[in-house]
Amino acid sequence: MEYSFEAHKIIGGIGADDEYWRSLENNEFRLPQCAKCGKWTWPAHFRCGDCGSWDFNWVKLEPEGNIFSWTRSWYAFDRVRERTEDIPYITVLTEIPEADNARILGVLKGDDTGIQIGLPVRGSIEPPSEKTKFYPSITWEIIR
Amino acid sequence: MTDIRGKTAIVGVGQTPYFKRGTSEHPALKLCLEAIVEASEDAGLDPKDIDGFVSYASENSDAQKLMAGLGTREVRFASLTWIHGGGIPGALSIAAAAIMTGQAEVVAVYRSMAESFGQRLRVDVAQNDTAAQYLVNGIESPTQILALRAQRLMQHHGVPRSALRAVSQASYYHARNNARAVGRQIELDDETYDNSRMIADPYRLFDCSRENDGACAVLVVSAERAKHLRQKPAYILAAPMGTPGGGGALEENWRPYYATAGQVELANRMWASSGYGPKDVDVAQIYMNNNSMGIGAMIDHGFCTFENAGEFLTLENLTAPSGKLPINTSGGDLAEGFIHGMGLLAEATRQIRGDSTNQVPGAKLSLMTGGPGDTMSSTGLLGAEETL
Repeated sequence: MEYSFEAHKIIGGIGADDEYWRSLENNEFRLPQCAKCGKWTWPAHFRCGDCGSWDFNWVKLEPEGNIFSWTRSWYAFDRVRERTEDIPYITVLTEIPEADNARILGVLKGDDTGIQIGLPVRGSIEPPSEKTKFYPSITWEIIR
Repeated sequence: MTDIRGKTAIVGVGQTPYFKRGTSEHPALKLCLEAIVEASEDAGLDPKDIDGFVSYASENSDAQKLMAGLGTREVRFASLTWIHGGGIPGALSIAAAAIMTGQAEVVAVYRSMAESFGQRLRVDVAQNDTAAQYLVNGIESPTQILALRAQRLMQHHGVPRSALRAVSQASYYHARNNARAVGRQIELDDETYDNSRMIADPYRLFDCSRENDGACAVLVVSAERAKHLRQKPAYILAAPMGTPGGGGALEENWRPYYATAGQVELANRMWASSGYGPKDVDVAQIYMNNNSMGIGAMIDHGFCTFENAGEFLTLENLTAPSGKLPINTSGGDLAEGFIHGMGLLAEATRQIRGDSTNQVPGAKLSLMTGGPGDTMSSTGLLGAEETL
């Protein structure tokens, strides 16, 4: 399979998260856990700093967690102009309890009434689109 | 082992006017030359004598391009400090180390920007190194990223909106006396602040720094040489840099603590090596990419806590000449102008000399904190001779 994100690669950050995007394009939510000591490392890295292992298992998880923080963007910032028509839109930083509270960004969809830190959210996996720079993504929705 | 404490001093300051971003008639390199030449004249040194060059972040006016215009005899030392505005006081540390090890004698520490010849600062400073996790999810600007931290500071840790408003108002209050300040005409009363437009929750316009064209430079020499120059030396007492374990370029996954500036360990090292503590500081220039991050820096440095931030951070406490902790006495990043924070170092130096337009009488210990929430940061303490 050819992956959309690979054809539109964004260079930046640590750069060890290809498997994350590949999994999302396969409609699965996976995060990396050290194959030797079991430590969750997020964002993904090349080596477990705790035990020194270079091997990670990408564990399939339910995209469910709690809002760690959020912001509502009111301005078309330079490099995310694709979202101009959605302004104001909310981006949520979600803690995933199953993965030692790794925090995963995603745009909020659905009813945002009463949004606050700590609320439970459920993620949906979205296919690559122009708005997500041809990467797959997770959108979060408050569980009511 | 030796320490940098008091071994070097800032002896010259040069600063171009702040131009509205994108309006400088000249490229950054020319502005940079102007600032360095002015700093040399201020110190009573010949620009030809500068043999060390230190900057930070995405600076493009490198020594290689400057030297023909300065008449540089030989570049003997040059370095760029990681990585954004977090690098500034740390650049002093590098300059001090170069001088103490005999690698250079006169070091310029500087920053120059001209968006009329480049791109928006927030794009430029990202250095094409913004993780996909942000961009895919509609986040690209430092303001949006720091907004996530501000929500935690306010909603989880309980720092009130009044504290954010007070630090902005203190900055604009000081700007009114500073002819250089871009925001000097703005009277930031409660209504103006409360009605300003939203940028990224919880930030409104006046919670955010400015962005300007301009250049600023300081010159650093050995303490011995500083005694024989024109200006009262501002001695570098400590300027540690770094990132705590569990922090770094972690896409909002900082673990030890999240909502403040990531400067607890830096501040502790600075207090330990300088021999001073937060109670001793006379005046502080607090880097404010956004005001809540500056509050985080003040919390990390021990000036206040989550619990008493609302009580401590008031206009009265934060303004010169007699507040408990006058901050950003030139107007700072919010109200004076923003050359990636470099103006703060000029002002921290002026406070030691006694020639700020909002002077704290008899200021002897002058703090400058580096970019808060940066993936690597630094903080610096300048002192008058009596503090050595």
